[in-house]
Amino acid sequence: MAGSNEVNSNESKMVVPLHTWVLISNFKLAYNMLRRPDGTFDRHLAEFLDRKVPANASPVNGVVSFDVVIDRTNNLLARIYRPAPPNPTTPLADLHRPPSPDPFPVIIFFHGGSFAHSSSNTAIYDSLCRRFVSLCGAVVISVDYRRSPEYRYPCAYDDGWAALKWASTEPWLHSGKDAKLRVFLCGDSSGGNIAHHVAVKAAESGIEVSGNILLNPMFGGNHRTESEKRLDGKYFVTIQDRDWYWKAYLPEGADRDHPACNPFGPNGMKLEELPFTKSLVIVAGLDLVQDWQLAYTEGLKKAGKEVKLVYREQATIGFYLLPNTDHFYEVMEEIRNFVTCNLKQPANI
Amino acid sequence: MSSSFRSDMGTDPYDSVGDDRWIIASASDRGSSRGEIDSLLHGAGYRVRSTDLRHVAIGLEQLESTMVGHQCVASSAEAIHYNPSDLTAWVDSMLSELAPDPHLLRHPQSTATANTWADPTQQRPSLHRLENHHQHRNVPAVSLQSMDEEEDAAIRLVHLLVSCADSVQRGDSEMAGSLLDQTRLALARVNTGFGIGKVAGYFVDALCRRLYPPPPSATGGGGSAANLEILYHHFYEACPYIKFAHFTANQAILEAFQGHDRVHVVDFNLMHGLQWPALIQALALRPGGPPLLRLTGIGAPSPDGRDALREVGLRLAELARSVQVRFAFRGVAATRLEHVRPWMFQVAPGEAVAVNTVLQLHRLLGDRASPEGSDAAAAEPIDTVLEWIVGLKPKIVTVVEQEADHNKPSFLDRFTEALFYYSTMFDSLEGGRVGGSHRGGQQQQQTVVAAVAEAYLQREMCNIVCFEGAARVERHEPLARWRDRLGRAGLRAVHLGSNAFKQASMLLTLFSGEGYCVEEVAGCLTLGWHSRPLISASAWRADDADDASPPRDHQTLVLQDHSSSITSGSNNVVDGDDHLHQHSVMRSHMGSSDRINDTGSGSSCSRV
Repeated sequence: MAGSNEVNSNESKMVVPLHTWVLISNFKLAYNMLRRPDGTFDRHLAEFLDRKVPANASPVNGVVSFDVVIDRTNNLLARIYRPAPPNPTTPLADLHRPPSPDPFPVIIFFHGGSFAHSSSNTAIYDSLCRRFVSLCGAVVISVDYRRSPEYRYPCAYDDGWAALKWASTEPWLHSGKDAKLRVFLCGDSSGGNIAHHVAVKAAESGIEVSGNILLNPMFGGNHRTESEKRLDGKYFVTIQDRDWYWKAYLPEGADRDHPACNPFGPNGMKLEELPFTKSLVIVAGLDLVQDWQLAYTEGLKKAGKEVKLVYREQATIGFYLLPNTDHFYEVMEEIRNFVTCNLKQPANI
Repeated sequence: MSSSFRSDMGTDPYDSVGDDRWIIASASDRGSSRGEIDSLLHGAGYRVRSTDLRHVAIGLEQLESTMVGHQCVASSAEAIHYNPSDLTAWVDSMLSELAPDPHLLRHPQSTATANTWADPTQQRPSLHRLENHHQHRNVPAVSLQSMDEEEDAAIRLVHLLVSCADSVQRGDSEMAGSLLDQTRLALARVNTGFGIGKVAGYFVDALCRRLYPPPPSATGGGGSAANLEILYHHFYEACPYIKFAHFTANQAILEAFQGHDRVHVVDFNLMHGLQWPALIQALALRPGGPPLLRLTGIGAPSPDGRDALREVGLRLAELARSVQVRFAFRGVAATRLEHVRPWMFQVAPGEAVAVNTVLQLHRLLGDRASPEGSDAAAAEPIDTVLEWIVGLKPKIVTVVEQEADHNKPSFLDRFTEALFYYSTMFDSLEGGRVGGSHRGGQQQQQTVVAAVAEAYLQREMCNIVCFEGAARVERHEPLARWRDRLGRAGLRAVHLGSNAFKQASMLLTLFSGEGYCVEEVAGCLTLGWHSRPLISASAWRADDADDASPPRDHQTLVLQDHSSSITSGSNNVVDGDDHLHQHSVMRSHMGSSDRINDTGSGSSCSRV
């Protein structure tokens, strides 16, 4: 196997910049240590290895952050990021005032980690959320959802939904003359999957979502797609680890055609009748699950839902974590456009 | 240097002079040393010198081939010994642990293309107008450095502490002593004002004390009972654990007392009686009117001729009078709980009894039989006490205990468990303080309260680490074990209910910083810091507690009474109280309360 590993790594090194390679390889290595063959997860080691940063109510590059408990019944934490209040000496109560008299977006962000890794205070996601604030003038709510395998489906979705409901009851998050919550659901990897399912719930419950932003969302199915076979093990991710994470998240005994994993598969739900929001789906061309992501996009289109696909041919997973490529900057620009356009005219009905 | 290397210096285009020269805007151009920390990876939480990136990348590759398959599990045991932030050191250390064969290390020329990372020109970011982005990483290198070095030192400190405890357990006092010296050095490099440094400092002291115990006269049991009460009070103020305990227990007691006219609470550790005003007031507001409330408070004897228990009783009686609750108090002074006997409470027939034990039952445990031990441990005081508790046929027994296993047979296990437990505890003191109040004036007072609260916790920690045998009283065991034990004694769990849960959660929002969390576990509640439960509250009843028959060893008290008692002096007592009234007359002849004779051993340290 050594020979083919060498080939694999050489290929990936041709395409992947050094920093990205170091960062993602390090994650891969660490994550391999955490997944046990029996389906359990070394949570203690995971927390030890995870690089975390505290919230910071002092402005850093014009952004402040603070942690809140959204739901005491299950200790749901979230980290809120927002533009720094104008007067640096006023008390922290100012954190709960709207950042602007004009309409502003609220982005509820679900970090990635294949449902098992990372937290809202993980450094890479803290950086990303701060960037979203600067990018869109948004208030970003990063949800510290319960992770598998300790908490399986539907816990992560429940937590996402709780966050959305919470946001809808916070007056300071409403803006514009019509005092509306202009909320976008955003997530990468498993977070993208969560964003989709929370958006479905929102559509079912009559909470208006201005848009979904899915970065390399995590979907799958029983069938082995062409991209999975072609890219297995080539760019940091293997079919085997994808299978492990699904097994850890989905209910015991379920397979990958469970609607959580495969929303447009044989057990999927029909979205035609629902006022499901608009979506921006970003797919990396070196991500082995891209066929599922593309199928998701097709599924949305077939159901009559508006979706914009941004396909970055030479991007790997995690490209949005480091600002060192065109992919990064151009995708950020796409996100900014999407949010700005859908801010003034909240999506659908 | 190859062009691909130069390109990946972690530069941000907006640091550059112009868009053609971004490749050259490397560390050297900024005029700083080649050892500049890479800013891109720093944003991800890693400290790597830009010049080391390639080396790290190769190391990661090699680690991966070394860790194929079954070795993943072994390597995770190694992973905790190195600071994951310092990627270079982490990768190097992991490699030398897992692949000691030097040929496996560092062969940059192994394959011709091994070093080739992507051609930078393909990856060159285009210029953007988003100028604010470039400010993200203008963190001065100096502060970066010191912050991460500190993290390094902290991890080494923990490692040393645990190794030292291990030598202590093995009886290698020479090694332990030497490690202790090293630990002290490591401690000097860490900020001991907060976080792991602070906790570690206490544990270093405790280990030192265990290795080199002070002469018995100097020990003094860690201070007088009055001193302990002060510490306890500060701990009560600084964080919500005791308030939570009181609140939850009172809820259960209140519910158990419904429909009863005469109720009797036995408090295993009265202290300042902080738990009882709330119950008295709640009973006063009870629909149908308050019952007659008797409170028996157990506590340590006061050394200086004061009757501390009586003083507390008087205060509570005063409060009860003010809200028109008929109230009677009795104090039972004892240095050790196992010296208390149920007849001292004088439970009257027809009374509904509540037994309240907040952080007390663990003191009655003994050494746990080791897993390979054949016999069960000798009968422990806990069994006797539980027996008579059940004998009282209580309507409710409220049990609050630390949620930790500090009674494991192995010293090293206890030590490590305590290190993590108190570390979390201290974090919560720190975090709760910051979050709880933003008003400047209160900050200073809070600092003092928190500091004294720490001293309270430090006593516990010291007891766990330094003492053995009868002197080691902080024998915390987790809820699961208490469940078994209480079940075997004939007690049945009373589900605390969602009401208690919701109210406990509300209590937290009123009093504490974000980060505390209440959880419900099979009818019991736990309060913890973030995801770690630290204290549990549960409620129990005897199997057949419906008829309040008199306790077995009831005796006519008069002359053999060793306790003081106080009545609230109201005229509206029902006849069951005549004997209490009479009793107070007796008391006045007896003078201050006699103490239960102390036959137990004083504190003692064991040598390694």
